[in-house]
Amino acid sequence: MASDIIARWRFYLRQRPVVLAALTVLAIVFFLAVTGLSQVHQAQRRAIGDRWFNRGIADLNAKRFEAAVKDFRAALLYSPDDYSYQLNLAEALIGEGQRGQALAYLINLWEREPENGIVNLELARSAANQGQTDDAIRYYHNAVYAVWPPDQDTMRRDARLELIELLLRIGAKQQAQGELIALAERVGPDPAQQERVGELFLRAGDYEHALAAFSTVLKSDRHNAAALAGAGYAAFELGRYPEGQRYLQAAIEAKPDDTASQARLKTTQLVLQMDPFQRQIPIAERDRIVVQAFQTAGERLRSCKLPAGISSAGSAPLSLGDEWEGLKPQITQLRLRRDPDLVETGMDLVFRIERATSVACGSPTGADLALLLISNMHEGS
Amino acid sequence: MEPESNGEKMLVENANARSQSPWIQGYSPRTLWRSVFREDRLFLVLSVFIGVFAGLAVVCFRFAIDWARLYLLGTGVALTPARMLLAPALAGLLIAVLVIHFFPAARGSGVNQTKAALYIFNGNIPFKTAVGKFITSALAIGSGHSLGPEDPSLQIGACIASALGREMRLERDRMRLIAPVGAAAGLAAAFNAPISAVLFVIEEVIGRWTAGILGSVVLSAVSSVVVMRWFLGSESLFRIPAVELKRPAELMAYATLGVIGGLASVAFASGIAWLRPICKALPRWTQYLQPAIAGLLIGVIGMLGAPQVMGAGYEYIDQAMHGQFTWEFLAILAGLKILATMLSFVSGTPGGMFAPTLFVGAMLGAAVGGAQHALLPHLTGSAGTYALVGMGVLFAGFLRAPMTSVFMVLEVSGNYSIIVPVIVANTFAYVISRALQPTPIFDLLTQQDGLQLPSMEEQREENILRVEDAMQPVEGPVLDAEKTLEDAVKMLDHSEIEQLLVRLSPVGWGSVSKQQLLTMASQGNGATTLGALLPIAPVPYLHPDHPLETALRHVDRWPLVPVVNRADFRKLEGVVTQRDVLERYREFGEG
Repeated sequence: MASDIIARWRFYLRQRPVVLAALTVLAIVFFLAVTGLSQVHQAQRRAIGDRWFNRGIADLNAKRFEAAVKDFRAALLYSPDDYSYQLNLAEALIGEGQRGQALAYLINLWEREPENGIVNLELARSAANQGQTDDAIRYYHNAVYAVWPPDQDTMRRDARLELIELLLRIGAKQQAQGELIALAERVGPDPAQQERVGELFLRAGDYEHALAAFSTVLKSDRHNAAALAGAGYAAFELGRYPEGQRYLQAAIEAKPDDTASQARLKTTQLVLQMDPFQRQIPIAERDRIVVQAFQTAGERLRSCKLPAGISSAGSAPLSLGDEWEGLKPQITQLRLRRDPDLVETGMDLVFRIERATSVACGSPTGADLALLLISNMHEGS
Repeated sequence: MEPESNGEKMLVENANARSQSPWIQGYSPRTLWRSVFREDRLFLVLSVFIGVFAGLAVVCFRFAIDWARLYLLGTGVALTPARMLLAPALAGLLIAVLVIHFFPAARGSGVNQTKAALYIFNGNIPFKTAVGKFITSALAIGSGHSLGPEDPSLQIGACIASALGREMRLERDRMRLIAPVGAAAGLAAAFNAPISAVLFVIEEVIGRWTAGILGSVVLSAVSSVVVMRWFLGSESLFRIPAVELKRPAELMAYATLGVIGGLASVAFASGIAWLRPICKALPRWTQYLQPAIAGLLIGVIGMLGAPQVMGAGYEYIDQAMHGQFTWEFLAILAGLKILATMLSFVSGTPGGMFAPTLFVGAMLGAAVGGAQHALLPHLTGSAGTYALVGMGVLFAGFLRAPMTSVFMVLEVSGNYSIIVPVIVANTFAYVISRALQPTPIFDLLTQQDGLQLPSMEEQREENILRVEDAMQPVEGPVLDAEKTLEDAVKMLDHSEIEQLLVRLSPVGWGSVSKQQLLTMASQGNGATTLGALLPIAPVPYLHPDHPLETALRHVDRWPLVPVVNRADFRKLEGVVTQRDVLERYREFGEG
């Protein structure tokens, strides 16, 4: 009887539908068991990954790049797709000097998040280092307009500053000026930033904006030596010599060892002393300046052997030397007082000599430089 | 399914009696039951269960490998020398004890064992083998032996399938095929690539495409991948780099990779073929030490500066793909990995060859790509693309699975633009490997183990005899059924032929003997057409491209079988007789 009952049960249990039902239950049970196991496994991996990551951050902050690389690599074993792990590994690799490897990670990160500012900035730096300026500019632009965390908005400004530096390095001054104007609008009145912007404007050859930036700095700090020197330089380049003289004098007072400003001030003073066309200058003084300028130009002409082809303007067959020799007897204070037109004639020759010699013999110094600058100032007037 | 006891017999009889009652005849629960749980339907449902269970097992297997690695080798990337030396050596010792005393069937990669289940053991694999494979392979791979988890997963899947098949008491034919179904599920889950898994099992285990098995294999592979992705995510085992083919001339570079990969495959296979019998022939007590010594040597390789060769090495494949090694180091790694895998495998340590093959291929590919990039920077693309192609190259050259090798790279990369370089490189590798190493590695291992399993490569490339090979030109006249008997007899006057073919109208062929015709003519039926006169039974016809074995079904019954054109069934291309067919087979057998 008992054997019949057992046989009956065995029979039913071996029926396929029963086996299938049992398999379904078994599958559910196993599924739940593996889910539990999976959670334990994942939690463990996450904990190990975080541990290595924190260790890597500590090493990165301490600039122990080699150790940081190992730490981040270990962290990535447990979470291979973690964005911040990869980004920090790329930074550590850059710190270690392994830019090629870092680039591989960065490109991978960029493919995942093309709008990420940090990744674009790092890629831009990497491309710039490898001389791939087009790529670098593209990545810098991406970084400038990228998504940055609120506490890292200064990074956007840094990205633009680096872009400007790159543009200036490759001689793209026009583009650099455009970026600088955009940058100047965003830096606000912060003196340090304005000073940096002013310096970049100077390097980009935009002296007007440079002067404005330095003026902003001086409003909050009248004795800022760098700003005074920068403003003096900008005013000097703009031909605003009295203003430049004022700034440069103040700059030297604030920082007496500023030799560049000293040299620039000296030239400025010479310009102001040697310009016969200044207003409210006595006739006698004007004539003395013209005579002195004529002598200076003659000496410059004698010290600089002009090539045979260089002659006076137009089709006149006379060389500048011949012209100078021809005019010399007339350029005296007495004759100049009698014939004021000689002032124009004499100074015109002086300017032509200084321009020609600066082309043939290089940039002049001292009084010759001052005369050249005066010539530039009055060019076209 | 036969009832086994008296009780069971009684129940069956009762059930039969109920089903025979007239009012439910045709709709009885038993009929319905049988219809729903028909063997072929059940097989498909079972395939899904196999996939689910295999997927769960593979997920657990991956966890086990991970835990073994954590506890044996540590959590960091910089392994300590002590762990590097001791972990694989001590694990090797333990594995040897387990394999020799408890799980002897867990030895090897698992692919051949699954084939043996299919061809020798009627689909039966003891479940104990799965347990043994799980434990020993996880220990081996986790401790740093240079082996992979794919082939063991394949075998674990096959074991699970076999156990379920036994439980369901499947018919013998179905039972035979159940192991490959499980194998596909295991491999698909391990490799996260269902298409490649299906192809590999068809190409290397089953050896033929049959509709009956394909559906089950696909179902099990897909369901196991779904389960695996549920737990482990759908990410590939390595980050796939951007694939690029700079210009068509770059195919030359891929051809070079194919040649180098082919040679490396031959070196790899030859090394195993040479070393394995030597290790097997050593005294039995050495088998306890062989995995430990192999582990120790692998540890030494790791200590000497190449810890990347330890374990499956997927993270390093990832790094190679992203240009994080110099090409010189990549080439060294490829060589050392071949050496380390040979040591692990020939020592009898359970574990797979897939991952090492992919590792060697990726390193070799990235090395070749890197070297060519250094020489011709404008011609070659990224090292990652070469690494991907390199994986396919070794798969084609070493594992000799040409179709899987192409689809695997496509499936892993998800980029079809890589197909041309893959085909070019794989073809070179496959051809070179075949020329220098005629026996594929799996067949070689089978032969060394004293088994005679069918060679899939031979099966694929077997020359099939066709009807056209035995076909003879038609001798004598061919009669039309519209002709009168008198005309037919006239045509026979000068013919020695005893048997004639008759073209029936509108289509079809008949056969009649000369003697029959003469007899009918002597009875005064000369003016009657042959069609009306002859009780002609239609003769089956063949086409020239039919396999010759098709002819065998007819030639013993019909002395003359017509071979007709496929476009025009009335046009006779030739005839075959039993003698012609047998003669052709004899010639073929003599080579």
